[in-house]
Amino acid sequence: MLVGIPLESKHSHAVVPKDCADEMSSYLVLVGQSRCKRSFAEIFNYFAPRLRSYALKQMGNEALAMELVQDTMSNVWQKSHLFNAEKGAPSTWIFTIARNIRFDMLRKQRNRKEDICADDLWPVLCEQTADVNEVSLDEQITLQQLGIIFEDLPKKQREVIEAIYIEGKSQQEVADQFEIPLGTVKSRTRLALQRLKEMLKDND
Amino acid sequence: MINFHPELAHLRAFAEGTCPTNLALMISAHVDLCPRCQAITMQAQEEAGLEVFSGKLNAADPQPDFNDMMLQIMQTPDVEAPVLQPVNNMLELDGKHFALPRALARYTHKTGNWSRLVGKLWQAPVDLGQDGQANFIYMEKGGKVPEHTHKGTEFTLVIDGQFSDGLADYDCGDFTIMDSTKKHMPFSEADEGCLVFTMVDKPLHFTSGLARLLNPFSQLFFK
Ligand SMILES: [Zn+2]
Repeated sequence: MLVGIPLESKHSHAVVPKDCADEMSSYLVLVGQSRCKRSFAEIFNYFAPRLRSYALKQMGNEALAMELVQDTMSNVWQKSHLFNAEKGAPSTWIFTIARNIRFDMLRKQRNRKEDICADDLWPVLCEQTADVNEVSLDEQITLQQLGIIFEDLPKKQREVIEAIYIEGKSQQEVADQFEIPLGTVKSRTRLALQRLKEMLKDND
Repeated sequence: MINFHPELAHLRAFAEGTCPTNLALMISAHVDLCPRCQAITMQAQEEAGLEVFSGKLNAADPQPDFNDMMLQIMQTPDVEAPVLQPVNNMLELDGKHFALPRALARYTHKTGNWSRLVGKLWQAPVDLGQDGQANFIYMEKGGKVPEHTHKGTEFTLVIDGQFSDGLADYDCGDFTIMDSTKKHMPFSEADEGCLVFTMVDKPLHFTSGLARLLNPFSQLFFK
């Protein structure tokens, strides 16, 4: 049993998230870093009841509403290490999680074929939670390896690779230059490098 | 340069998760291509989050006991982060490769075969299950869709290249909604042609010349 976790923290009811955003952010970071249960209790006590009000309005039924609260807060617990305090407020992050879960719940309920799921619809925007597109070092290749196969890349990928690996620009600079989202630069880079690797393999 | 964006109310509904799925799919793909609408969506999400989580709880509304739920959640073991599989987003047509926005990447596999239509047009239908059907349409340089109006609504997103339709010129990333009040004739004069992703909820209605003969078959073509 968890002893000593106050169910109602002194902040639970009176504060709007704008005012307690910094505080909640630091709790979330603590949960992410060290699975801090006390911090999670603070977050839970603030967000869960408000989430229930939202869920009741959206789902129109207590059981489904509580399922939405439970799934959302479980995600917060398990994915807290993906929360990036610099990219947004906890209220935004938790809202997007709840929105996506709600979307998938409603589709399941209507027996929709689940061919379109929330993760497809709100991918770029979830980058607040993860830098899944970061190119890791072992994915990178040297310029000499590129050789002539470089020319076989689709134009858009080639432009991005040229700007980054030949002109030495940062991904953000490339995004600005081509007026495309940073996420697109990252995914094009990743795809291009993968493709180049495959082509290198075929050339061996 | 993107000039045609989804309307603000649709972007908000998208951010809040309340807009119809087929429109959400179009908007998601547009947002992937459009920094402006990405910023608007992020802003709308932030506002939605504040609205949901602001304010005092209604004391008259009895809260269930959340304690068990909280304890149960904290006892769940850590899950290993799933290994993210790289997504192939390249669509191929006749030796040409097109990078699709992320929201559409899954359809690289689901497109039926490309079929060649009249007028230098190519079409690949995409089955969206109960959300209807969409099409990738590729206009070669000089390709034309006969003049038509719409019985329902037509969503179009330009994925690559440019086209015009007698009403305006559209560039990569542009998103339009056409309805029965608008008559147009899409064509592309771009050297590399133009790839669009489009959805119609009712068959097109061809309005001019010989193309009127197409009407009985328009379902086969564009729906
Ligand atoms: Zn836009």
